[in-house]
Amino acid sequence: MAEFSWDVRSPLDRALAVGRYGGHGDAGVALTEIRNFDLIQVMARRGKAAEMAKAAEGRFGVAAPETPKVVQTADATLIWSGPDQFLVRSKGDKHGMAALAPLLAGSASLSDQSHARVLVSVSGAKARTMLAKLSSIDLHPGVFAVGAAAATSMDHTSVTLWRGNDRADGQAVFNVLVFATFAESLWHTMQDSAAEYGVAIGHSEEF
Amino acid sequence: MRIVCPFCGERELGEFTYLGDAKPVRPTADAGEDAVHDYVYLRDNVAGVMSENWYHGGGCRAWLKVTRNTLTHEIAAVEPAAGAGAAKVGA
Repeated sequence: MAEFSWDVRSPLDRALAVGRYGGHGDAGVALTEIRNFDLIQVMARRGKAAEMAKAAEGRFGVAAPETPKVVQTADATLIWSGPDQFLVRSKGDKHGMAALAPLLAGSASLSDQSHARVLVSVSGAKARTMLAKLSSIDLHPGVFAVGAAAATSMDHTSVTLWRGNDRADGQAVFNVLVFATFAESLWHTMQDSAAEYGVAIGHSEEF
Repeated sequence: MRIVCPFCGERELGEFTYLGDAKPVRPTADAGEDAVHDYVYLRDNVAGVMSENWYHGGGCRAWLKVTRNTLTHEIAAVEPAAGAGAAKVGA
């Protein structure tokens, strides 16, 4: 009988090679894949948006985003993904399907996207310059502040983009969430776009 | 051309897909062959202000009703199509 390996691997496993690439000097861009997160898509059922909002607030203690932004709680990130819908990112199964379904299933449709998306964090002094090649969203600090989010496209690929909390050194952090099967393609584009500034490639389970 | 999505804000044309005239209404089942023929095949070739359906597939995936001048590309209004972001319709 054939032997199968059921190890969970990142969709970027083949493409991502940890290291320092491209232009000389300090790396202008850091591309970090964030691994091992739970991600649940929550979409209101027809006519039940208000009910969903109430249930979500009961669960998370804060209102889920109703405009393009992210809401940070102690152990979850609520990310706007479209009208009457949001994504819940957490880790360690705290806000996984089993935890959310009993509370939200009456007013919303839930779908586990934990292994269906790839999350890449982009930071560094040249992060905005590099992202400007790929995105038409205005990422100027005065427009796209910490907590801002956008459902948009990069390189013809749908992504959810948001600005997380700044790094310890004050640099902005942009998170790009992309469908797993498109991730490798977008990853190569991002890596190529960042190469001229010097790019530090890595992965992490910290967020 | 840019479209101001009522959910996302101003976005480039590449994020949207054009569906067509938003005016035709599906006839009732007993409306007869002529009405169905008109609904399926007949479209006005408007030179001026027109109501159109657009899909924000590269963004929030909402259907939008856009009032656009086909001569100048000026957009007078963008609103969610019925059923898109139901909470916002009529709000």
